Amino acid sequence: MKKVININFQGRVIPIEESAYEILQHYTDSLRKYFAKEEGRDEIINDIENRIAELFTEDLKKGSACITDQHVETVIKGIGRPEDFDSEGAAEAGATSGASGSSSTSYTAQEEPRGSLFRNENDKVLGGVCSGLAYYLKIDPAIVRVLFALVTLGGFGSGIPLYIILWIVLPAKGMQANMRRRLYRNPESKVIGGVASGISAYFNIPVWVPRVIFALPLILGVFHSIFRNVWFFGNFDGFPDFIFGGFGGTLFLIYVILWMVIPEARTASEKLEMRGEKIDLESIKNSVQEELQGVKGRAEKFGSEFGEKAKAWGEEVGQWGKDVSNQSAKVYSSEIGPAARRAGNGFAHAIGVLFKAFFLFIAGIIVFAIFIAFTAVLFSGLGYGVYDLKNYVLEGFWQNFLAFNTIVLLFGIPIIAAVVWIIRRMTGARSNNSYLGWTFGSLWTIGLISAVFLGAIITRQFKRVESVQEEIQLTNPSNGKLAVNVMPADGRFYSMIWFDEDNEHEKFPKLSADEDSMLINTIRVKVERSDDSGYHAYLLKFARANTPTEAEANAEKISFPVSQKDSVLYLPEGFAITKQNKFRNQQVMVVIEVPVGKQIRLDNRTDEFDWFTVSARYRGRERGLSIDSDDDWRRDYGYRTDVWYTMTATGMERTDKKSDDWNADENQDENNNENKGNNDGYRYKKDKEIKIDTVDIKLKGKDTTVNIRLNTMLDRKVQKESDEEESPVRKKGAYVYHMISIFDLMRIGK
Amino acid sequence: MNIENTQSQMRKGVLEFCILSIIRRGEAYPSDIIEEMKKANLHILEGTLYPLLTRLKNADFLTYRWVESTGGPPRKYFSLTDKGADFYKELEATWQEMANAVQMITQNGYHTVEEIQPTNQ
Repeated sequence: MKKVININFQGRVIPIEESAYEILQHYTDSLRKYFAKEEGRDEIINDIENRIAELFTEDLKKGSACITDQHVETVIKGIGRPEDFDSEGAAEAGATSGASGSSSTSYTAQEEPRGSLFRNENDKVLGGVCSGLAYYLKIDPAIVRVLFALVTLGGFGSGIPLYIILWIVLPAKGMQANMRRRLYRNPESKVIGGVASGISAYFNIPVWVPRVIFALPLILGVFHSIFRNVWFFGNFDGFPDFIFGGFGGTLFLIYVILWMVIPEARTASEKLEMRGEKIDLESIKNSVQEELQGVKGRAEKFGSEFGEKAKAWGEEVGQWGKDVSNQSAKVYSSEIGPAARRAGNGFAHAIGVLFKAFFLFIAGIIVFAIFIAFTAVLFSGLGYGVYDLKNYVLEGFWQNFLAFNTIVLLFGIPIIAAVVWIIRRMTGARSNNSYLGWTFGSLWTIGLISAVFLGAIITRQFKRVESVQEEIQLTNPSNGKLAVNVMPADGRFYSMIWFDEDNEHEKFPKLSADEDSMLINTIRVKVERSDDSGYHAYLLKFARANTPTEAEANAEKISFPVSQKDSVLYLPEGFAITKQNKFRNQQVMVVIEVPVGKQIRLDNRTDEFDWFTVSARYRGRERGLSIDSDDDWRRDYGYRTDVWYTMTATGMERTDKKSDDWNADENQDENNNENKGNNDGYRYKKDKEIKIDTVDIKLKGKDTTVNIRLNTMLDRKVQKESDEEESPVRKKGAYVYHMISIFDLMRIGK
Repeated sequence: MNIENTQSQMRKGVLEFCILSIIRRGEAYPSDIIEEMKKANLHILEGTLYPLLTRLKNADFLTYRWVESTGGPPRKYFSLTDKGADFYKELEATWQEMANAVQMITQNGYHTVEEIQPTNQ
C-alpha cells in the first residue's frame, strides 16, 4: 500500500507514488548539484525534467495508474545518473586548464575537515551552529540543540549571545549529516508533537516507554489529587512535592524544548533516517558499489543519492582540476536563496512550536478547570448548586427553558467542543465531518440568543423598586440602654457551603430543610435621633418587580419579625423568600430611633448582614442588571458594633470617648479596635461627607490577615500585614501563605 | 588508469562531432539523436546529451524551436546555425585527419608487432 500524490511537473499533473517522488526528488537534486557549476544549469535541468515528464506521460498513456518506483528507476536509468555521465562537459574541456588530475581533492575531502568548525548550511533550525558543532563533535545535532536550549534556559539566556557570536564568526558550509540514525519527531504516530514516538524510534525502544515517562507527572498528579485526603498518603508529603513541583515541570519543559528543537520527519528518507535505516558515509560508498552492480534496495537508494553526489564531485574535481574553494563558493552562493528561506522557516518553526505548546498547555488547563468547576457547580450532590437557586429567580416554563438553554448550550457547548478538540489533538484523529462544527456553532448561537432573552426577561423583573414601612412596637428599656442583637430565624436553615470556607460572612444565602425557602440577609441597621423621648423602630422593606404594584406586593411579603426582651432588641438573622414569591432583591432596612441622652449598642453579629442592590438599567452604556454591593453601610451610618453610643443633638457619640478611627481599621482587626483608638477624643461628625471609592475586604486566616482593597476601578491591591506595623496584638505569622482565587473575586462581586 | 576511463575519453571526443552530424541532416529531437546513435552502437545517456546540446546552443552552433507534441510537453527541436555548420566542417576536417593518422599509426603498429613477433621467437 503506497500513498500516491499529485505533482505539478513541468506543467503537467502527474500522479506519483510518494516513494517514487522521493526518488525523483533526490535524482533532480543530484542533477542540480552535478550541474551546479554549469552555465546553463537551469536550462539543462529543465530539458531533462521535460524529458522525464514526457516519459511519464507515455507511461501513463500506456495505462499505468500512477508513476511507481519502477517507472522512475527506468527513466533515471535511461537518462543516467550523474556518476554515469561521461564526465566530460566536452566543450568545457577547452575552457579549463585541462590539467587533468592536478588536484587530488575529491568529495571525500568534504567529509573529513574535522579540523575546523563550520556552520552547517544543509541542516539547521536557525543558523546551523548547533548542527555544525554536532558535525565537529560527530554527534547528533539534536543532542547539541537540546544542550544548547538547556544552557540558554538554565543560564539566563547566556546561550543566545553565544549562538549569535558563533553564527557570525563561523563560516557556513554544506555538510552531510554524520549520523547513522537521527532524532526526528514522528508525525505518523504522535500524541502531541511526536517527540516520544521519535525518541522511541531513535533508541529503538517501545513507544510507550517515553510516553509514560512524559505523562508520569500527569498520571501521578491525578492519583495525588484523588488520594490527597486519604490519611496514609499524608506521610509522603515530601515525595509528591518533588514529583509535582520540580520533576513534572522539568519534563514538560524538556518536552517543549524537544518539540521545538527536533525536526519533524517529513520525507520518506527522513523517516528512514529516523528509524536508523539511513546509511552512513562508509556504507554509502558500499551502496554506490552495490548500485553499480545492480543491487538495489529501498534504503540503499537514498544512500546512493548521496553517493552519487560524492562521486560526481570527486570526478569533477579530479578531472578538471577546478579549484575546490572556488567551486564551493559558487555552489554556496547559489544556495544562499534557499538557505535564507530555510532560516526563516526554522525561526518561524521555533516560534510557532513555542506558541503551540504554550497554547495547548494553557488551553488544556483552562478547559479542565472550567469543566470541573462547571460540573461541580451544576450537579454538585453535596452542596446546593446554581441549579437549586434558579427556582428562586425564574418563574414559568419559558424562563426555565431559556435558562436551561443558556447553561447547557452557551456554556456547555464550548466545553464539550474544547474537550473534543483536545482529545482529537491527543489522539491525532482527523475529522472529515464538518457537520460537527456547524452543529456546535448553531447550538451555541441558540444558547446565546436564549441568554439574551433570559437576560431581558429577568431584567424586567427588577425594573421598579418599591418600599413598605412597618412599625415595630418597642417598649422603652428602663435603664435607658438598648442593645441590638441577632437571633436565628424561624425554621431550620442550612448554609449552602459552596466552597470550603469558615468565614461567617459567607454563610448566606441559606436554604430551608425542605429546600422550599431561602434565607437571605440583605439587611442594614440605621440609627437615628428620635424626635421625642422614646425609642422607636420601624422597618423599611424593599422589593423589586416589573410594575410598582407588584414590587409593593413583593415587599409586603417580606416577613421580618423583630422581638424585644427587656433592653435587648432581637433582629432575625435573615428573612425567607420562597420559591413562590421569588427573589426580587428584597431588602430590609431596620431604622432605630434613639432619644437624645440614651444609649444604643449593636452586637457584632449584625456585621453578618449583607447589603446589595440589584437594579435594572435601560439607558446608558451599561444596560441590563447591575449588582452593587455596599459593605460600608455601617461606616456610612457612623457606628461600630460592640460599642456603646450615646445619642446627642449632633449625632452619636461613643460613651468611652474614644474615636471611631476608620482609617486605622484598614490595618486592624475589629477585635482590637478598642485597644487601638487614639485618645484624642471624639472626632466623628455625623454630617461628615464620606466618599466611597474603595471597598475593603478582610480575609482572616490563623496567623495572618490579608486586606484586599477594591477601588472603583476594581484595581486590586493586596497588602500583607506584617508584624512591624501598629498591631502589636497580632500574632507573629510563621509563614505567610495566601492564594487569592478567582472565587474570592466572585464573592467580592456579590 | 583504467580501461573504462580511457574508453569514455575517446568516445567523448567524437560525441559532439556525431551529434552535429545528425543535426546537420535536419531538425532533430534529442531522443531521436539518442536512438540514431544507439543504432550505430554508440551509447549515450540523455543526461550527457542535454548538457552538451545546451553548451553547443550557448556557443551559437545550434538553435532550437518548440514543437507541440501530442500528449507530452512541447519538444525542443534542434537545428544547425551557419556558425555551427562552419564548426562542423572544421571538425569534419579534423576528424578525417585524425582518422587517417590513427589508421596509419595503428595499422603500422599492428604490422610492426606482427613482424617483430616471429623474429623474436
